[in-house]
Formats: sequence, structure tokens, C-alpha cells
Amino acid sequence: MRNRSLSFWLFLTPVILSLSIVLIIPFIYGLIYSFTNWNGMVATEFLGLKNYVALFKDQEFLASLWFTTKFALVSVILLNFLGLGLALLVTRKMKTSSFMRTVFFMPNLIGGLILGFIWQFIFINVFGSLGDLLGVEALTGWLSTTATGFWGLVILTSWQMAGYIMVIYIAYLENVPRDLLEASEIDGASSFQRFKNVIFPLVAPAFTVSMFLTLSNSFQIYDQNLSLTDGGPFNSTQMVAMSIVKKAFTENKMAYAQSQAVIFFLIVAGVAITQVYYNKKREVDL
Amino acid sequence: MKRNKVFIGIISLLLVSVLALAGCSSKDDANKEKDNGKTTGDQVTVDIFQFKVEIKDQLEALVKVYEDENPNVKINVKTVGGGNDYGATLKTTFSSGEEPAIFNIGGPSDVEEYKDYLVDMSDTESAKIALEGTLDTVTQGEEVLGLPFNQEGYGLIYNKRVFEEAGINPDEIVSFADLEKAVESLDSQKEALGIDAVFALAGKEKWVIGNHLANIFFAPEFNNDPMQAYEATTIAFEKSDELKRHLDLEAKYSVQPVLSLDYSQQVEQLFSLEKVAMIQQGNWVFNSIYDMDPELAENNIGLLPVPVEGYEGKIPAGVPMYWGVNGNKDDAVVQASKDFLDWMYTSEAGKTAVLEEFKFVPAYEGYDAEQISDPLSQTIYEYASEGETIYGWVYPAAPTGWSENVLGAAMQKYLSGDATWEEIIDDSRSKWEVERQ
Amino acid sequence: MKSSKRNHYLIEFFGLILALLWLSPFYLMIVNAFKTKKEIFTGVLGFPKEFTTENFVQAFVDLDFMRSLFNSTVITVASVGIIILFSAMAGYALARNKSKLSGLIFLAFVAAMLIPFQSVMIPLVSLFGKADMLNQAGLIFMYLGFGSSLSIFLYHGAMTGISVSLDEAAIIDGANRFQVFWHIIFPLLKPISVTVGILNVIWIWNDYLLPSLILSDSAATIPLKMFLFFGQYTKQWHLALAGLTIAIIPVIIGYFFAQKQIIEGVSEGAVK
Repeated sequence: MRNRSLSFWLFLTPVILSLSIVLIIPFIYGLIYSFTNWNGMVATEFLGLKNYVALFKDQEFLASLWFTTKFALVSVILLNFLGLGLALLVTRKMKTSSFMRTVFFMPNLIGGLILGFIWQFIFINVFGSLGDLLGVEALTGWLSTTATGFWGLVILTSWQMAGYIMVIYIAYLENVPRDLLEASEIDGASSFQRFKNVIFPLVAPAFTVSMFLTLSNSFQIYDQNLSLTDGGPFNSTQMVAMSIVKKAFTENKMAYAQSQAVIFFLIVAGVAITQVYYNKKREVDL
Repeated sequence: MKRNKVFIGIISLLLVSVLALAGCSSKDDANKEKDNGKTTGDQVTVDIFQFKVEIKDQLEALVKVYEDENPNVKINVKTVGGGNDYGATLKTTFSSGEEPAIFNIGGPSDVEEYKDYLVDMSDTESAKIALEGTLDTVTQGEEVLGLPFNQEGYGLIYNKRVFEEAGINPDEIVSFADLEKAVESLDSQKEALGIDAVFALAGKEKWVIGNHLANIFFAPEFNNDPMQAYEATTIAFEKSDELKRHLDLEAKYSVQPVLSLDYSQQVEQLFSLEKVAMIQQGNWVFNSIYDMDPELAENNIGLLPVPVEGYEGKIPAGVPMYWGVNGNKDDAVVQASKDFLDWMYTSEAGKTAVLEEFKFVPAYEGYDAEQISDPLSQTIYEYASEGETIYGWVYPAAPTGWSENVLGAAMQKYLSGDATWEEIIDDSRSKWEVERQ
Repeated sequence: MKSSKRNHYLIEFFGLILALLWLSPFYLMIVNAFKTKKEIFTGVLGFPKEFTTENFVQAFVDLDFMRSLFNSTVITVASVGIIILFSAMAGYALARNKSKLSGLIFLAFVAAMLIPFQSVMIPLVSLFGKADMLNQAGLIFMYLGFGSSLSIFLYHGAMTGISVSLDEAAIIDGANRFQVFWHIIFPLLKPISVTVGILNVIWIWNDYLLPSLILSDSAATIPLKMFLFFGQYTKQWHLALAGLTIAIIPVIIGYFFAQKQIIEGVSEGAVK
């Protein structure tokens, strides 16, 4: 198909149209609005960097940025660890391995909002009565402090997404040639050695994929945040995505919220690009 | 090849459904046009969009009675859950073109936002019998832009049996010192009384502490007038020490950890199952308690005022929400909407439902206090008729979201020990000032 | 050798325990959904003493479940349908055109994946509001915009395995481009269409934030209804848990029937 051919453009029209209207145009508008006093309807004044200056003085925003970063880092480590562990588990020759796969993957299909409500019930009511029953104080009062809110969110997302990461690792593990494993077994290599020298190098590319996915997903989490803690206590577990939504649609500070959104974009895109770049480089080095 | 055909079949089916949907949505538009006011024959359709989940079923039942009496009127009730979400959902509803005919507005800032839509209701019967002062925040010049839902009041709800067994006479609790003494006495007899703690403070609910509790202590500096608060460029927090003192008392003698307690644990789990002697809540909890233990709800609970210096023995009561009618609708729909609201608050059937089914404390004259079925609402209505209610509900007149998201969150921070009282008061004040620049 | 066999069983046993632990949140949800309001407060851990199904009946009615199920289905089917069709067309066109411009357009679509939803959300809603498009049709169009990038990427990748000679032969036989696509290429892309479909169904079915900003109450999808039991003053766990259970059922049924395809599709979508 040539550029000038009508059919080329006809084939592309629907997606180009939707991408422009839904993503590109709002993105540009958003960038412009973030320098004004836009209220959702009209912008009457050009403010320059005023919104951004205010943003970096806003303790609450900085706190949510820090909270989100911590959450993303912990989640990425835990998820990859769990995902790889589960993948190694279910790729063993076992009668029940397909059952396990089904189970571990299941939470991933259900919306974060619904799962957040279920875990809210578990953390508050179930943990609470377990704590009373066993006399373990650490189990009571979950989600009422910043720390338990944080770990609550980590547990929820790890439980939800570990199956997803597992599936990615399985795809790579299944490429590990069986005779290679058997050969190493005959050589008398221990499980650990086998993992380190044979399996690990082969699944290394899976890190690129799953770290990209987990990192960008963890940064953008909203539903789970909303239904599990709703930012509480005192907005200390409010992540950036939620902070943008609340600023815009509850407090009606559209331009200010949009400047948060621009910073949010820079971070998410920056992280993703760096990460893909480094992982590609490492793969080549290997 | 056969499988491909099946596949193509599925895809074509998808396409057809897309087209059908496109067709449907244009048909929907046509319907919308109709709903927007044009009456089909003599039929008038009124869409109500309301926020009070607690009266959803009762309101729908009442609507049915009205429809039977007025066959030419069709009323659809939509209820939205999650108090916080009502404002946002209402906005979506307006922007998506499915504007309701009747909707709810809160304080002066809502009136400001929707004033282009709201019609004048001063010609309704209800507006004429609304209790004095209840229309202040929705009046602009000569126009009355909303009708009060009900009155709600709050204070310390106590368990009569526990008080009696502990030898405490609730009538003698007037000042803060009295309250403190009673609380200490209850605390020392905890085991004999079979309670876990004296209070259950729902620290997880920002509205319990930031809206309700704080309101009692900052309303006096605005002369209990929401309009003064709406125009104020700062908040002095004259009574902030008193607020701290009271909050500390509730927190100290509450089931711990305070910040983990939500409404349902406070009211249903702890108070209704008689694990605590007192909770700071309002008359709306009656149904929640009744569901858990009807006997307790009907005979064994009472309401005490939160003591405030200079205002002892008074209960904060006010109108939390108003009904507004959308003037964008056809005249017939506007009239039908007004007629329905009038009927609800002035006809015998409506009045009975408001009292007995909704369990409202009426914000209108001409109701028989004897008929108020639950003891909490009755107490509030009695206080009201004796002129012992004060404090308008000032918090809806604070900057948007301030009382809950700023002050409420700050109070949580104080309770968790992450900030001092001075810090949170200064911080909340400066945020008020920024908003009102 | 013997010890390694015992280890093997030990690991399997451990795995099963872990799987049960994994399922425990669902177990707790379902068990408590059969309890009365009062029993949820007195005993969360055990089996229901007074087994009641009333929660389910009331939650089903309150959620207006058939309607929200219908709304969810319409939105999901229509959005995924147009995403599959239009992305396949675009992927085909971009793969067959080797010019610089085509490469640039492809790159633009890939780059668009970097934009998080929240950073365009506010202007998007305002723009569509001005155009009076905050309704189901508008939402479906938005899903095409948000969903097409990854889908085009997947189709583009799959096209490399389909020889150009097929196109050429058909064109010599007198077929036009659309006929070539519809009769020859699109059927060959079926495996990747399944993947694209699954990925988008999972996303759109569960999406909360975007529809919450757009759909009015009568068009509400299942996730939007989940707040119903968390009222201004109330939190009705007995109804909420029953409602959550009902909301999950369609997903579990779907998973039961298409388990293999779903896991394969998701893995393919992530790995490519």
C-alpha cells in the first residue's frame, strides 16, 4: 500500500481519529490549561508556572508522590518475586499444577474496585476478630494507620497481580529446553545452581516485560486505592492518581489538578522509557 | 475454512450490535427529548435524583401512592449511594443531558453552582410553612430556591440501661465537667456494666469529627449563621481548645484504635450490641440500631447535648439538604415537581410517611410531635419547639470540602499523633484563607 | 532419589496450601454473604448459624442487576468489537506500507501507550461534555482511542507472519483492498484477534474511573453500582458482600469456559 493510496488512509482513519480526539488533543489542551486558571469551562488568565510552583510547595501532593513511589518500588519487588516463585511452582510436573495456575490467576480477572471492597472487609472485620481471638494486637486496627494502609494496598495488589506476572514468567520458562534442565540435573547441579546458571539467564528478558508492567501499573493504581482506604487516614494513603481525581472532581480545581496530571505523565513516561532502555542494554550485554 | 466462517459470523454480529446500539442511543435521545419536558398526552414524567440511601425504599413506596392518586404523573426515583459521590454524580447527570427534575442541594456553594437551574419555589405551600430560619441559605432576594429535606440533630447518644446501672442521671450532665465526671464513673465500672469502653469514636469517618463535632465548636463564632460563614475570609477557631478537650475525652475513653472505627462498627457493632455506653451521632442512626436490636432502639436510648460553654443544654440541629427543582424542564414538569413536593410535606398521607416511614424530624410547621415514632427524633423536635436548638449547620458553608477533607483529615492526623493540635488548627485556618482569597 | 521424591510431594502440598490461601478472600466473602447483619458483627470466621439467602435477593434487586449486567455487556461488546475491527485494519495497513510515514504513525501509536489515563482525563471529560457526548456512544469511542494502541501493536506484530504474496494473488484476481483484508487477512489474524479481544474485555468490563465520569445512573455498569451499599451514614456489609459475590459471578463463568484462551491471551499480550 502506498501513502497516497486512498485505501491506506481509509484503513487508518478510525483509529487516527479516535487517538487524536481521545488522547492527543486532550493531552495538548491539558498542557496548555495547566499554565492557566482554567476552571473546567473557561480560562481567563495565563499564570505561567504558578500552578507548578504551588504544586511543589503542596505538602499533601508531595506526600502522595512519595507514598506512590514507595508503593511502586515495594510492589515491583514483591510482585516479581511472587510471580517468578509461583511460575516455578506451577511449571513443575504435578497433577495439580493446572488447578494452581487457575487459582493464582483468578484475582487478576476481577476489577480492582471489587477486590478492594473484599479486602477492606478482610482487613477490618476478619483481621480484627482473628486478632481478638488469638490475642495478637498487630492484627487489629488495620487500615487505620498509614503503615497498615500501605501494606494493605501492597497485599491487595500483590494478590491481584501476582498471577499475571506468573503467566509472563511461565511463557519464558516454557522456552527453557527440558533437556538442558535434565542435563544439568544429571551433572549433579543443586536446585539453586540450576536456577542461577540455567533458568535465570533464560528468563531475564521476562524482567523487562514484567517490571515495565508492574511499575507502570503500580504508579497508576486508582480503583484499589479508592475502595480499600479511600486515602484514609487523613489522606495519608492517597496516591497521585487519586489526588488528581479528587482535586479535579471533588474540589473543582481543574487547572491545578491538570498540572499534577502533567507531572504525573512526566514521571510515568520517564520511568517507562528509562526502564526499557536499561533492560534492553542489559540483555545485549548478556 | 468453516471455522473462519464462524469467526466472521461472530464479528459481523458484533458489528450489527454496534449499529443497533447506535440506533438505540439515537432512540434514547428521542426519549430524552420527551423526558426533557414535552408531555406525551397528559402524562408528565418527573425524575427525582436523591442522595439519601436510607429512605430509598420508603420514598419509592410513597411515590407509588402519589401516582395512584395522580394517574397523569409518572415519577422515577433514582438514589445514589456513597454520600460523597452525590455531588460528582449529579454533575455527570447534568452534563450527560439526563437532567433530573428534582435533585438535592446542600449549602450555599451548591446554590451558587446550580442557581441557573433552580426555580423559585416561594409560591409553594411548603415554603410558607417551613420553620423559621430553615430557608435562609437557599433564599436569594425574594426567591426561595430550595425546600428543606428535614432537620437532623446530633449529640451524644447514650444507653439508658447502662447509665441507670452506673447510677448516672443524664439530666444532670450539663457542663463539660459533668460529662467528664460521668465518663470517669462509667469507665471505673466497665466490667460490672459489661461494656468494652465508654465511647466508640468513629475516627475513620471524617464527617463525624470534621463536619459534626467541629461544627458545634466553630458555629458560634459565625453566630450560627451559615451565610456569615459563607462570606467569612478566615476562621478564628475561638473555641478550638474546647473542641480539643472534648475530642480528647471521647478518644481517651473510646474503643481503640479510634482511627479504625467506622460508622458501622460504631453504631451497629459496638453501640447496638451494647458494648459501649455512648456514641456521638445523630437521629439518623435510629434505623441502624433498630435493625440490630428493636427493643434497645425503642426504649433504651437517649440523646444528650454536647456541652459547649455558653450554650449548655442546646442541641445542634439543622437542615442538611434541600430539594431543588430544575427550571430547564418544561413548565408542566416543573409544576408537577412542585406539586409532588408540596404533597409530600403537607398532605396527611405525605406527613405520615415523612414522620413514620422516613423517620424524619420535620422542618415544617403543623406536624404532630406525638406521631414522631423514634425517641431520638422526638428529642430533637422537642428541643426545637422549645427553642433549645441552635447552631445552624455551618459546615456546608465552609469552602468546598474544607470541613471534611481539610479539618476532618487534620483531626485524624492529630488523633494518630502525627501532628500537634496547634499545627492542625493553623494549617486548617490557612487553607480556609487560601480558598477565600 | 527418594528424598527428592519426598521433596516433590512436599512442594506440591505447599503449593496447594498456598492456593487455598489464595482463594480464602473469596471464601470469606461468600460465607459472610449468607449471614445476617448481626452475625457478621458477632462471628466473621465461622459458618453462618442462621443461613440466609435474603441478602442475595435484596442485593440483586437493589443493584438492578439485570440492567447493569446489560449495560456492562453492551459497552464491552461494542467497544471490543470496534477495537478489533479498526485495529486489525490499521495494523494491516501499517504493516503493508513500508514508507517512513507509516513507520512514524506506528511509532506514534506505540508512544501513546506511555500516556497515563489520568493525565488526559480532565480535558477529555470537558471536551466531550461540550460536544454533548458524555454518553454510551462517547464512552465507546473513548475506549477505541485508549485501546487501539496496544491492539495495533499486536496486529502489526502478527502481520509479519502473513506473506504479501497472498495479497498480490488476490489483487490480481480482481479483489480490492477491503476485500483482501476481510476475506483473506482478517481470518488469518484470528488467533491474535482472540488475544486482543480477551485483553480488552478484561480491561473494559472492570473499568471504573472512566465510566464513573461519563455514564449517568441509568446507564451504569456493574462496577459503578458497587458503591450502593456504602451510603452516607451506612455501610451494609451483609448486602455489600452479597452484591460483590453477584458481581463476580459473570466473570467466574467466563473464566470457567475460556480459561485456556484467557491465560494464553494475557500471556501473549504481555510478552509481545
